Amino acid sequence: MSERASKLARVTAAVWRISLAEAIAYRVSMLMWVLTTTFPLVSLALWSGLAASGPVGDYDRPDFVAYFVAAFLLRQFTASWVVWELSGQIRTGDLNTLLMRPMSPMLYHAIQNLAALPIRCALALPIGLVVLALAGGLAWPDPGSLATVGLSLALAWLINLGVHVTIGCLAFWVTESTALFEVWLGLYLVLSGAAVPTSLYPAGLAEVIRALPFHASLGFPVELAIGRATGAAVTQGLALQVLWAAAFGALAAVLWRRGVRAYEGVGT
Amino acid sequence: MTAAMVRVEGLCKRFSVPRREAGLRAALRALVRREYRVVDAVQDLEFSLAPGERVGFLGPNGAGKTTTLKMLAGLIVPSAGRVEVAGFTPSERRPEFLRRVSLVMGQKRQLSWDLPAIDNFEFNRVVYEIDAAAYKRRLDELTTLLDVGEVMRRPVRQLSLGERMKCELVAALLHGPQVLFLDEPTIGLDVSMQLGIREFIRRYNAEHGATVILTSHYMEDVAALCPRILVIDGGRLRFDGSIEALRRQIRPLRRVSVRAAALPADPAAMGRVVLQEGGRLVLDVAPERVPEVVGALVALPEAQDLAVHDAPLEEVMRALFGREEAAELG
Repeated sequence: MSERASKLARVTAAVWRISLAEAIAYRVSMLMWVLTTTFPLVSLALWSGLAASGPVGDYDRPDFVAYFVAAFLLRQFTASWVVWELSGQIRTGDLNTLLMRPMSPMLYHAIQNLAALPIRCALALPIGLVVLALAGGLAWPDPGSLATVGLSLALAWLINLGVHVTIGCLAFWVTESTALFEVWLGLYLVLSGAAVPTSLYPAGLAEVIRALPFHASLGFPVELAIGRATGAAVTQGLALQVLWAAAFGALAAVLWRRGVRAYEGVGT
Repeated sequence: MTAAMVRVEGLCKRFSVPRREAGLRAALRALVRREYRVVDAVQDLEFSLAPGERVGFLGPNGAGKTTTLKMLAGLIVPSAGRVEVAGFTPSERRPEFLRRVSLVMGQKRQLSWDLPAIDNFEFNRVVYEIDAAAYKRRLDELTTLLDVGEVMRRPVRQLSLGERMKCELVAALLHGPQVLFLDEPTIGLDVSMQLGIREFIRRYNAEHGATVILTSHYMEDVAALCPRILVIDGGRLRFDGSIEALRRQIRPLRRVSVRAAALPADPAAMGRVVLQEGGRLVLDVAPERVPEVVGALVALPEAQDLAVHDAPLEEVMRALFGREEAAELG
């Protein structure tokens, strides 16, 4: 068992090294990253403008600043681009390379995703700090237990990865799986809390939205990080995250296994 | 043959090609209701290969060569029949199986574009669990043979097609596979590079005893590399044997050419006249009449450049497949 673990560690390190080098060389995706993920900061400008004349719901201006800066940063830690990688590899046949290696292609994608984290953080942290300073929100609310936030982040990352692999695997059967992902992304922007804190939706609707995977993959960890989720809400939120991570993990695993059997290897 | 390295029985692959319009709406609709067109890419293949054999798959485009190769490599799952490679069922893709085989595709790069090849090699060392001493020995051997000592330190994207293919071969062979699958390994390469790669593969096979299975559009590759040929056409095995046997079976006539001061009065009596022009005569002659015809031609006044050839391979292929695509095989 320990031999397997040490092999896993070696392989992880090797994938990490190669992915890190690739991530540095991969300029286009970095540009995409900048364009697509500053969305919470746009929301920040909007909402802090609205809150200038008085609080919106239970959010006043500094609350919005903390919320959206946290949303921006946490999105960096949990983001993924596996869906593009995977569906591209399936369509072009580049998946062949991964399938011929004696290591799980899914593990490869997961590690590759994690390997890009340091670069994302390096780019995102200064932006977050500058915004925070400019907005005068340097007084950060009590974030609660760091361990809980960390756990919630890890779960959010898993949910995202599960969604990406699930939709990416659809490329085994459908040519335009990334178009389906665009649909998902549209819902995500509205329902995850990236544009609006989900607690500001009307009562009744808010409860439904907060039970969906979108909120579990961003809104909830953000609320944890700014100390808005406390007591029973923490346990409940974590439980929902575990549920969604397990659901998408299982779905992704089933689709992957079936997809590989349906795979046609592409190319004459 | 109990010790076969590759054993294929009743192998079939049927593709269901979805038929639908383009666009997101059609994609969503296709999730619910789909229409299929059925394509039988491979039908009832049967053969087995001994360890260390070099075998070429020959056939026109879309004949099922690459599909067969991919089933042997475990990339696609057979619809029916059995495949066994090195004692494993390829489609299960067990790590022990994957460590014993390697696939090189001339049309697909497997090395990471932005990194030097040496980084890719190092990555393979870890993933394939190659021990340090064996890695160093093989790397030295392969990089020397293929002359990529300098090249492998530059990012892959800066390499020429030929240099890249050499690096692909190094990456594919570092773990010492028992079975090497080569899909069009020399496609797009210039003649000298083709020769170099061909020579390398032959040498590697001779020294390491790996089974080599090759598909190529270049008849010359297959003819030069593979003592045994499997002709696949329309998804079926049409021939299994040596290239000479194939030639003799399809085009039994030998081509005899000569140059002389005066040509025989009735060359058509010797065989089919391919060319008669000035002092030059080219005939297709039945094998059993070759000695007699050669004797007669040598006796011509100032006879020179007398030669006896097998029919050119392209002609053999054209005759075998009997359709236009076969012309590409030349």
